[in-house]
Amino acid sequence: MGSQRYLARKLFHAILTLWFVLTANFFLFRVMPGDPITLLARSERLNRQDQAEQRAALGLDKPLPQQYLFYLKQSVSGKLGVSLRSARPITEEIGARLWPTVLLVGFGTLFATVFGILIGIRGGWKRGSFFDTSTLYGSLVLYSMPEFWLGMLLLLGFSGLLHLFPAGGYQSGNQATGFAHMVDVANHLFLPCLTLTLGYIGEYAIIMRSSLIEAMTDDFVLTARAKGVPDRLIRRRHAVPNAFLPTFTLIFLSFGYVLGGAILVETIFSWPGIGLYTYEAISQLDYQAIQGVFLLSSATVIVFNLIADVTYGYLDPRIREA
Amino acid sequence: MTRIQRAVAKVAVFGLLAALVVNGTALAQSTGPSAAASGTSGQVVLNVGVDSDITSLNPYNLCCGPDYEYLRLVYDYGIAYDNSTLGPAPDLLTEWVPNSDSTEWTLTLRSGAKWSDGQPVTAQDVAFSYALVADNAIPFYKDYLPNSPTFSVIDDTHILWTSSKPTFAPIVPPAVPIVPEHVWSQYVTAGDAKATRKAVKGYDNADPIGSGVFKLAEYKQGQYIHLDLNPNSWEGAPTSITDVYFRIYDNPEAMATALESGEIDFAEGLKPELYNVLKGQKDIATQLGDGGCWGNIAWNFGGQDTFDGGPKPGTPTNDPAVQDVAFRQAMATSINRKEIATKVYQDTSTVGYSILMPGTNGSWVTDIPPELRFDYDPTTANDMLDAAGYLDTDNNGVRNEKGGGPDINLELLTITDVAGSVDTGKLIQGYFKAVGIDAFLTTVKTNKAYELWYTGEWDAYVWDWCPDPDPDFMLSVFVTDQCLGWSDGCWTNPEYDALYTRQQGEMDRTQRKATIDQMQLMIAEQLPTMVLNYWGDLQAYRTDRFDPSSWVKSPAVDNGLLLFGWTHDSYMNLRLIGSAAPPKAQGLSPWVWAAAAGAIVLIAVVVMLARRKGPGEEEA
Repeated sequence: MGSQRYLARKLFHAILTLWFVLTANFFLFRVMPGDPITLLARSERLNRQDQAEQRAALGLDKPLPQQYLFYLKQSVSGKLGVSLRSARPITEEIGARLWPTVLLVGFGTLFATVFGILIGIRGGWKRGSFFDTSTLYGSLVLYSMPEFWLGMLLLLGFSGLLHLFPAGGYQSGNQATGFAHMVDVANHLFLPCLTLTLGYIGEYAIIMRSSLIEAMTDDFVLTARAKGVPDRLIRRRHAVPNAFLPTFTLIFLSFGYVLGGAILVETIFSWPGIGLYTYEAISQLDYQAIQGVFLLSSATVIVFNLIADVTYGYLDPRIREA
Repeated sequence: MTRIQRAVAKVAVFGLLAALVVNGTALAQSTGPSAAASGTSGQVVLNVGVDSDITSLNPYNLCCGPDYEYLRLVYDYGIAYDNSTLGPAPDLLTEWVPNSDSTEWTLTLRSGAKWSDGQPVTAQDVAFSYALVADNAIPFYKDYLPNSPTFSVIDDTHILWTSSKPTFAPIVPPAVPIVPEHVWSQYVTAGDAKATRKAVKGYDNADPIGSGVFKLAEYKQGQYIHLDLNPNSWEGAPTSITDVYFRIYDNPEAMATALESGEIDFAEGLKPELYNVLKGQKDIATQLGDGGCWGNIAWNFGGQDTFDGGPKPGTPTNDPAVQDVAFRQAMATSINRKEIATKVYQDTSTVGYSILMPGTNGSWVTDIPPELRFDYDPTTANDMLDAAGYLDTDNNGVRNEKGGGPDINLELLTITDVAGSVDTGKLIQGYFKAVGIDAFLTTVKTNKAYELWYTGEWDAYVWDWCPDPDPDFMLSVFVTDQCLGWSDGCWTNPEYDALYTRQQGEMDRTQRKATIDQMQLMIAEQLPTMVLNYWGDLQAYRTDRFDPSSWVKSPAVDNGLLLFGWTHDSYMNLRLIGSAAPPKAQGLSPWVWAAAAGAIVLIAVVVMLARRKGPGEEEA
């Protein structure tokens, strides 16, 4: 019963958070100066009458509360409308960018997580060693380095100088299929994914290292040592599981951000992801696109946060009982 | 982990590294173009780098970037641009004959033209395409069809264009795409222009049917647009090219890198610093083309509050000094156009004087005489301000309004997403300061700039205009009734308005030219706007894949554009040098990736096995 109440409370908070985020998103972009139609005025030779008509066709002339209610209805029903710019369905536009985003940010986050944790574990366990010192400083350097700068260095080095990888894009478009297509995408993915991995590996390494160092001072580790348990078993079965809890939350939040894209990396490598799409939508004041993207990324973060909350409670009974 | 398990893991890792090194060495040693693969053998692909995606595939929902290049390759116009004069040239229509007073034009359809779906292009299609725009006031295209024209089919090969007034619109020429009636008629609601506009714009046109040289093969949003040959094109096949890819690069440096490595053959719209880096590089040539736009500083004459939809009546909307032509001429003389062209545009723009551009507007451009150029001379500018009565009456270093009014402090708008606007504004602020005029910069994005434009809350702004080859639209911007329309700052001059109306009705080109010359001189003298520079469109291309001499400039002048111009002659004319074999793709070979995947699996298996409890392991 306690677990059910815990779950129900978390679910309710998640729905409330989602509603708040959607409302804030709606009003936030509408307080920005100008509107999407005037942006097109010069390039599409829209006179004031044309602009008024297009505004009306898109419902932008209606009172704000009416627009808000329509927006909520659209969001709940999953009908995200059409782009004010291209007139294509938002679901189609986001859909075209979803898989590239999952590939890039998903793999980048996965590699950063796995390698970061492994480095953090080894560094924390062998504290003070050459491995620990070098990886700690390396992690700090990588984590503090601006992503776009790192990306540019990799682009200019591996693509510009060495011609090892393409300079941008998702695929060559050479009608390759099957494994050949996978290889083509992998070649395009390598540099942006490497940028993201290197950019975030430090975060996981540092947090894991710190948690493990703290766990190593706990009484249960001392007890295990006193019982003569081998070091590798103490690390694997006692220290790491307890040290992993803070990292666990970070991992779930990071994966929650996957669908938000990685705008800087996507821009540098011309990767057709949701991050770049979001930036373009904001520049063009394409309200429908902005709303669609924010609904998707907000919902994902909230869902993953909810999963983390619930799972954390099962991993650590102290949290559930609190 | 046992000794054997460690050995296996080491073999996996070193094997992968060896594969990487071998593959990397082989790649590094490859020379010449290694562009993104051009698909199957027999194809000759032109890879073009662009900096933005197309807005849509719908010819009635285009904006900028590569939109119109796509349009021009997939669709035809009725009458195209002549590459030398930018006057009319045959496209789907081969003749256009006016009656005695130019109220009717008989258009002749080219015989044998077909759509990409194999159906014949008919006179009905042509009439439909023009009527669709004219009857429903389709934005952008409607300006090419003035005076409420009607279009009727005379016979299988002739269409009658009927205008309510004498018109030269057919020879402008009208850049209106000809579309198949059998595709688009379903989106027309007879008698309801609003519904038609909405339906036409809303159609995604995912499978475009056109009569152009190319047809759409594949479109990947945010990635590329792939065009291949239209087998039914009346123009026939290009000399060499079978496919065109417009590849989208959001990072300009990446596009330049892709050109250097041979991934693309042509880079469009380069930034000045990258253009200058690419100049002189091996196997790369550059072209400083006519950008089709000019940068300007425009003045706000106020009066927006007197127009419908403007700010509240009585709202002050500008500095009174701006109304004085002597003041504007003095300020123009204080501005160093050459320095702006050098410092802001790194010598990729040229100093300009007329609102019509030498490349785009060709023979319509008049030479602005030296006395109307107001070239940079701060000493003369100071003298002009003194003579006009703008003196520093309170001796604080800033000139005052006439008659000892307050300090002159102008609000100068600069726009972040207009190339060079902010940097130009900063320089202009300095020039004004040097002649005793204060100016403060208000830097905004385009959407905010539009808001301020309509309310008149500014004294001057740095923006740009992009004229059509026919000067009518550009001239119309300065007409009185364009206030709160296209007019920069609501300048009003009845004499100019009369000249504009006169040139619209002049069928004789020589007479029209004479009127247009007068208008250009009037603008240059009265300075409602001051032209600062003509922008360049910076292009670069590889010289080792296509014969450099086979690129065709559009228009056919020194600074014509090689692609993205007014014609598609380059696509037709480009000649491949050497083999048509697909160039090698960048990246690691499939074997390396297979080895990497294998190594990861192997290491994972080893680790899993190592984690199994061995004999005698104690439960802690």
